[in-house]
Amino acid sequence: MNTGEQGNIKIKVNNLTFSYRGRQILSDISERFEEYAVTAIIGPSGVGKSTFLMTLNRLWENIPEAHMSGKVEIKFDGRFTDIYDRSFLPSNLRRLVGTVFQKPNPLPMSIFRNIAFPLKLSGVRNKSIIAFKVEEALKRAYLWEEVKDRLSQNALALSGGQQQRLCIARSLVLEPEVLLLDEPTSSLDEKAAEVIEELILHLKERITILVVSHYLDQVKRIADRVVQFSGGGIKPFAAAME
Amino acid sequence: MNKTTENIIAGFSWLSTILLLGAIISITGYLCIKGYSVLDFRLIFGDTKVFDALLLRKQVFNGLFPAIAGTLVLVITSVVWAIPVGIATGIYLAEYANTAVKGIFNLLFDILAGIPSIVIGLFGFALAVFLHKHVSQAIKPCLLISSIALAFLVLPYIIRTTQVALEGLPEDIRLSALALGATKLQNIAFVLLPKSLSGIMSGVILAIGRCAEDTAVIMLTGVVATAGIPRSLLSAYEALPFHIYFVSSQYTTPEELQTGYGASIILLAICVVLFSIAFFIKRRLTYMAFYRT
Repeated sequence: MNTGEQGNIKIKVNNLTFSYRGRQILSDISERFEEYAVTAIIGPSGVGKSTFLMTLNRLWENIPEAHMSGKVEIKFDGRFTDIYDRSFLPSNLRRLVGTVFQKPNPLPMSIFRNIAFPLKLSGVRNKSIIAFKVEEALKRAYLWEEVKDRLSQNALALSGGQQQRLCIARSLVLEPEVLLLDEPTSSLDEKAAEVIEELILHLKERITILVVSHYLDQVKRIADRVVQFSGGGIKPFAAAME
Repeated sequence: MNKTTENIIAGFSWLSTILLLGAIISITGYLCIKGYSVLDFRLIFGDTKVFDALLLRKQVFNGLFPAIAGTLVLVITSVVWAIPVGIATGIYLAEYANTAVKGIFNLLFDILAGIPSIVIGLFGFALAVFLHKHVSQAIKPCLLISSIALAFLVLPYIIRTTQVALEGLPEDIRLSALALGATKLQNIAFVLLPKSLSGIMSGVILAIGRCAEDTAVIMLTGVVATAGIPRSLLSAYEALPFHIYFVSSQYTTPEELQTGYGASIILLAICVVLFSIAFFIKRRLTYMAFYRT
């Protein structure tokens, strides 16, 4: 683990400021995030860690009375793209930047349909392609062996850890280049959390991962780099450890 | 809160529920006792043979069949106008309108919800007069005018229940499809609306009940004591609530009043059937949206 900038850059954030209902949550943040690495974002509750993730996939735009200024660029096909460019649709961005929330949020439908759902949204109609991609995604999320015989079962019947892996698989089915994980293990027991951690380490070979976490032990195990949020800004990780 | 206050509140809640249940059982029980003895095919079809009436081969003159048919057509037509407009407006208010627009519209719909039904009836009558003068002399108070007026009456219920159901969805559900690349419209169509169906259907059921029972609106907009089966949306029609009102205010013998009780039981039964259909449609739509493999 290190606290400095290293390797190829995937995401560039410049002078990012965010406010909600007139209250400033993020203030003039500039940061770089490496490609194919796990960057952990840590800090006390309420400093804007989850909000920061929402600025990377433009999900905040669905929250009334929220405002953002600054620039966010992500490298797609070898070129940095301003994700807030008018020609870049949020729906297209979110297919390239997957998000997994703190609480597992499978839709009340079968396991298969949950994973196939993003494909349906993006216009994939070929059933054999869908079946293939669903299987691939479940395998990548370490869930295939556990659910392969009950794909038509309601996803809400799965355990918490399985539901979270299902949500990761659902994001992976679109083959995103960046994966944003917002405290993905906070609602899980220790054993389920371990599986998710192992999965994160495995995924970073092909995906750039940003993970918000409250657990320093976990951060030490999975993160290549750590960013500490404090008082609306970023402070060096070494100081945070003290 | 101390224990005594808690017990008093709990006791009052129980008492209110029991009183309400008692009232419901008393009213339906009273209706059943009073109307049960007249419930037969003769009450519905009079002297006309059942199949002749059902196949519309002969008119029913001294039975409730035309009023039953009129009520069914009236309720269905009214909700057909009200449901798409109501749900679309509810979606707009919950998902698209900004705070200022939402405030204004909410106030307007609250006012609409508070307008007495007789005033809505008067509006329907004025609409019929306007259309008669300026569009076609064939338009008079009729089934179409009644159904439009009733749609106005029940719109606020559907709008408000749709809006509340959508706004009440938790943030994780609201964002789940968006985070997967859904457009706003896809999110509404594939996730938010199916998840809100229970709430929306409660508004629809309320609307069906209101359309089936309202008398003031239809009295001014097209219902008559004797009209037979409505042949088109532009005909006058009979309806059960008006029949009940007419019989209870004009009866000359106790037997005649009893037919009013019989009609009330039939009206309740129609509501139960329509509620069941609405519930079945809700289950079917939820299944198609989420559980279909």
